[in-house]
Amino acid sequence: MLTEAPVTHAEFLEQVEAYALGALEPDQARAMAAHLAEGGPHPECEAALRRAQETVAALASDLPPVVPPARVWQAIAGSIGPAAEPTTGERRRRPLPGWVYGLAAAALLLLVLGFLRYQAVSSSEAMARAAQAQCARELADAHVDLLRKEDALKLLVESGTQMVSLARQPAAPPGQTATGVVLYNPRGRALLVGQRFPSDSTHDYELWVIRDGPPVAAGLIPSTPDGQVLTDFRPELLTSGRPGAFAISIEKKGGSTTGSPGTVILVGQLGPR
Amino acid sequence: MSATGGDDQTLVQGVARGEPSALEALYRRHSPRLYALLLRMLGQGGDAEEILQESFVDVWKRAGEYRAARGAVEAWLITIARSRAIDRLRSRGARLRLVREREQQAPDGPVTPEPPDVHAHTRLRRALDALPAEQRRALELAYWDGLSQREISEQTGDPLGTVKTRVRLGLQRLADLLAG
Repeated sequence: MLTEAPVTHAEFLEQVEAYALGALEPDQARAMAAHLAEGGPHPECEAALRRAQETVAALASDLPPVVPPARVWQAIAGSIGPAAEPTTGERRRRPLPGWVYGLAAAALLLLVLGFLRYQAVSSSEAMARAAQAQCARELADAHVDLLRKEDALKLLVESGTQMVSLARQPAAPPGQTATGVVLYNPRGRALLVGQRFPSDSTHDYELWVIRDGPPVAAGLIPSTPDGQVLTDFRPELLTSGRPGAFAISIEKKGGSTTGSPGTVILVGQLGPR
Repeated sequence: MSATGGDDQTLVQGVARGEPSALEALYRRHSPRLYALLLRMLGQGGDAEEILQESFVDVWKRAGEYRAARGAVEAWLITIARSRAIDRLRSRGARLRLVREREQQAPDGPVTPEPPDVHAHTRLRRALDALPAEQRRALELAYWDGLSQREISEQTGDPLGTVKTRVRLGLQRLADLLAG
């Protein structure tokens, strides 16, 4: 029987399945952990533990995944330090009921989609109202991941965030109607909120960050069935100073192979703050 | 360089370097399955959320301890989450009574979408069905209810040595079936 006394290889191998299952008493489990931590290496024991742990993990494989409420990640981000914490947020274990974030996320999309439609259709107030109503209908059908929307909402309301409108470029193909805005925050985050980016088996949309020199590739835009996108520019490109502009190009599948953008369809200048 | 688009091990390395974006990517990738597991173990009511949160904070602190030789990242994450869930279950007390009560009722899992991997589902179900009933029950009491072998012995009335044998042989057999 295992006790807090040191565990031998044979004892470890005899109890490794129960250890992986969490079915040992606490003192037994501590002794097993100590065996691996001390006097190693223990390749046979580690291999047995790996096999047992992966079998244990497989026991959950028939559970349908359940996306946790957004407040869980918010609480984690608040716990791990300022780098991952919303600058306007307090460290709260459970900041708000989930429905508040859902509602707020819906409001974000309404706001941004309304803004986009307003740009695309007309500057008249009446048309803007019509566009908003249309946006509300589109919103009802939207299947953008709620977590991403809530994440975008956090960024939108975060201190220092600017909304950068992307302007259609003359080189854009005639049938190309993609549009969007970039939510930029100087703490090093830029998020594209866009629509009408149809999936295409032969082409990809690519993000670009423009600072002083030539444009720098900042990631491909994941295709979505409804053409709506919420995607981050590569964060490491945003930590070395304020960008001058953001751009989106159309590239052959897989993205630019030359390091330079192909056909630039949208550009947005980041104004002074 | 950011690890946000990498495989699991790259993400864990990023977390170990202190990159919140790597932790977030790991969370986005694995939290739905872990949350489903915790809901199944702990039920609705907030404990699953708390344990999920604590588990990823734990990952943030302990990423440097991860050893690929001891298992895949997903198995490591599940081990962390289950360990915390078992602690929570054991702190609740009166678990044996709750287990007995629950076993008299119909299974009541969380309301969730369709399984994403029908083949995994089928493979696991077939493997579990192939185990002797007493081995399967011992594994399920340990896995879902967080019972120790001693508690399983108390629950089932079987000798502790018998329970240990069932747990060991059951998991070994399951590993063989899943690998085959």
